[in-house]
Amino acid sequence: MPWPTLNDPVHDSQRMFRQLLAAMSEPGTLHTLAAPAPPQDVIGPALWGALLTLCDLDVRVLLAPALDTPALREALVFHTGCCLTDEPGSADFALMTPATLCEAPEFALGSDEYPERSTTLLVALEFLDSGDTGSGTWRLSGPGIPAQRTLRMEERARPLMLRLAANRQGFPCGLDAILGCGERLAALPRTTRIEEVV
Amino acid sequence: MNGYNFAYLDEQTKRMIRRALLKAVAIPGYQVPFGGREMPMPYGWGTGGMQLTASILGADDVLKVIDQGADDTTNAVSIRAFFERVAGVETTTATRAASIIQTRHRIPETPLEPGQILVFQVPIPEPLRFIEPSERETRLMHALEEYGVMHVKLYEDIARHGHIATTYAYPVKVDGRYVMDPSPIPKFDNPKLDMSPALLLFGAGREKRLYAIPPHTRVESLDFEDHPFEIQRWDERCALCDSAESFLDEVITDDAGGRMFVCSDTDYCERRREESA
Repeated sequence: MPWPTLNDPVHDSQRMFRQLLAAMSEPGTLHTLAAPAPPQDVIGPALWGALLTLCDLDVRVLLAPALDTPALREALVFHTGCCLTDEPGSADFALMTPATLCEAPEFALGSDEYPERSTTLLVALEFLDSGDTGSGTWRLSGPGIPAQRTLRMEERARPLMLRLAANRQGFPCGLDAILGCGERLAALPRTTRIEEVV
Repeated sequence: MNGYNFAYLDEQTKRMIRRALLKAVAIPGYQVPFGGREMPMPYGWGTGGMQLTASILGADDVLKVIDQGADDTTNAVSIRAFFERVAGVETTTATRAASIIQTRHRIPETPLEPGQILVFQVPIPEPLRFIEPSERETRLMHALEEYGVMHVKLYEDIARHGHIATTYAYPVKVDGRYVMDPSPIPKFDNPKLDMSPALLLFGAGREKRLYAIPPHTRVESLDFEDHPFEIQRWDERCALCDSAESFLDEVITDDAGGRMFVCSDTDYCERRREESA
């Protein structure tokens, strides 16, 4: 079964971009993207919608081995025209699972002169909620957050969150992440201070 | 409108600007270069702001456009008519009713609300440009956080005038890192940038730079301990609505020295007059 694209590319991508913009400017807020669901359950509608909204022929995308299926490759290239790459350092977007981040691929972090030339991670999670207690809860603060927010995700996401927490040391260089789980999406830009709730 | 894509720009251009906007929001105050397009009006009339507005605008948005606070000046009227024509969106002059406000040189007096987006038109985005003409150098200065020269400029004001004489485009520091030009808004509006509940986007069309301040972000106006930042004050009140809090424009009324002070924000002024009537 072919992967679906946007019914109304102009207005659907505008609507989803505004949700992505809201997610990135208010880190830790959850947004529900009404995007077409991919036939296989490797990535949810939220991440697929984000890819369809952001990718085109100017963009290089890296697919994590765990998510790299011929069907996804074909669908992504067919619907967006983007280039696929195996080099983490040259990827504009990287579709990841938390496990891939344990292997610490060397993504582009940008430079002090051009910090925007960094990879944006799109991470497929199995659990994502705004819960403020329990294991796998992270406390967020920084620009876009009035006092603090919390975000809860599966245990396996720990290496990802530690990696993102390390962003603060390298600022303005760093990785920005869009987290997706089913239709749900949140973002963690490099400015967000991340602490584990214990 | 036939023959044009929704909101004038083609989809690939919008995507390019959208990707740059996400990076701008992730690095508050940093100027992200973007492939600025020619718009059907000259540089200096708000082409940067328009490209940002075109990239974020949706069919269900309500757009307000102001020029120096006024909804009824040439620039505001033209840009509003442009988006009515190419996007068919609803427009308004009421600050509260707008989801997107494109502005030239003012922040509305009515406090902004969460979910609103303010798009600034920026002529020269680089706050260090009048001190250091080389782009390469200013880029390096931002990278090294080398902003001493900006304080020297403000100090020279004090040495010459006894106070900081910069009254508009007053430099700010965003989240303790990047020094940023807030566009030529009067320094009266600078405190509204700090911890704003609305998302603030800045677009410079000629210079092809865009930058952003996310909501709830610290924005400090540069100053000295013994010369703290101060905003303009007037002895007069608005001659139309009697406001003592708003930013006032001085209007010459005849050739015999007659003058009056009126609110620069026309929507705010009208609303106050309606309420008191």
